[in-house]
Amino acid sequence: MKAKISALMDGELGQHETGAALAALRDEGEARAAWRRYNLIGDSMRAMPMLSEGFAARVAARIAQEPTVLAPARRQRPFAQAPVWALSAAASLAAVMLVGWLAFAPQDEPQLAKAAPQSAPAAEIAQVAPPDTANDYLLAHQGYSPRNSLQGIAPYVRTVSTNTLGARR
Amino acid sequence: MRGFGLALAFCSGLCAAQPQPQAADGMALLRRIYQATEKLSYTGTFVYQQGERSETSRITRRTGPGGDIERVEVLDGIPREIVRTRDTVRCYLPESQIVKVERRVDQRAFPGVLPAQIADLAQNYTVTRGESRRIAGHDCEAVVLTPKDELRYGYKLWADAGSGMLLKARTVDRKGNIIEQFTFAEFTIGNVPRDRVRASHAAQRWRIEDAAVAPADLARAGWSVNAELPGFRKVTEVTRKLGESRPVGQMVYSDGMAAVSVFIEPMAGRSEAVRPGPSSLGAFQIYTREVANHIVTVVGEAPAASVQRIASQVEYRRPQQ
Repeated sequence: MKAKISALMDGELGQHETGAALAALRDEGEARAAWRRYNLIGDSMRAMPMLSEGFAARVAARIAQEPTVLAPARRQRPFAQAPVWALSAAASLAAVMLVGWLAFAPQDEPQLAKAAPQSAPAAEIAQVAPPDTANDYLLAHQGYSPRNSLQGIAPYVRTVSTNTLGARR
Repeated sequence: MRGFGLALAFCSGLCAAQPQPQAADGMALLRRIYQATEKLSYTGTFVYQQGERSETSRITRRTGPGGDIERVEVLDGIPREIVRTRDTVRCYLPESQIVKVERRVDQRAFPGVLPAQIADLAQNYTVTRGESRRIAGHDCEAVVLTPKDELRYGYKLWADAGSGMLLKARTVDRKGNIIEQFTFAEFTIGNVPRDRVRASHAAQRWRIEDAAVAPADLARAGWSVNAELPGFRKVTEVTRKLGESRPVGQMVYSDGMAAVSVFIEPMAGRSEAVRPGPSSLGAFQIYTREVANHIVTVVGEAPAASVQRIASQVEYRRPQQ
């Protein structure tokens, strides 16, 4: 099963196998332990900041002290009309969801995953259109790509392969 | 994620006390690929996939006395052909009737980097062996390069077990999304007649855009990248022309697998619109900004954040007399 979990994380399982692997993850056991351990290894390899030990438990304890968190019906309300205390409750809820999502991603509803970004302040910087002569830059760059030493001139096909090439002249 | 998964298999291998895949094996296979790329004569057809795009190209390489010649011809979409001889790369664009020419200016492996940079790879990537697989009728061995930080992509390479020829190359981001992929559909090793590597266009009346590449010392002119990106070092700096006539400075940084170019060109006399900020074209990330009346354009086969980080460090200081 461990190999299956590893393959699942790599997205290398077929539809049928994925279903079976997810089913195994539903119950506490070897598969779920492997899933957690592999994610932990992955996070540490990617140098993701680690949460301190017992972080989830401490957050849960803090939230337990806030009675408003147990009012899920309020989530239906638009945030703009919500009183300040409800906003703080929603933020707490988002925090719980984020922790829960990190730990138990496979079983979560899609909306839980969506809730997390609301508490994340950083937004992606808007993309601009590439320079009009972008292909000239790509071609000039390609001559110095280490990929040429691995693949010969094959990587050159990617430098001049967009339709902007014809459009710009 | 795929690359990561392999590293993961490596870790679980340790836990289960199974025989440990040797990192040295991965490096050895990588070296074989470099050597095969340099030594073999072959013809083949490969598919390049990037985003929604999928294009087939024919590639031919002839080695031997009189120099190595390599030719690639794109069979789908806008026709184009690239021919590389010992010291020149020519890019033929029949629709616009343009030949772009770039000549080598130093003893550096051209195009590309010196194999000495292979050693750099191990500092920036964890190199492991992947599972074998059959590609284009050949049994292939795999090598996986898992980045040690978020400044670069991961790679998985499959090489023909017999010859070391690279038959499949995949670039992935840290989430496991495929950035781009080259896959051979068929290939044959062996003698290639000379006419197979000649350009199919006479191109006599075509416009020639010679890059007029010349070695340069841009630091002396006042340009520098203050804090280089960890693992990336400067491999070359030149002046050149882009397109028809624009003179630009170019500094190239590489970590042994990926490269990022910094282009610097004067704002004066520029006719194209300048759009500062991040953009992308195909598998390349681009970042444009204005520095001291110049346009700085950073282009790289690296994550957007890395390209932006290099761009943000470009600085001009009036040189001391």
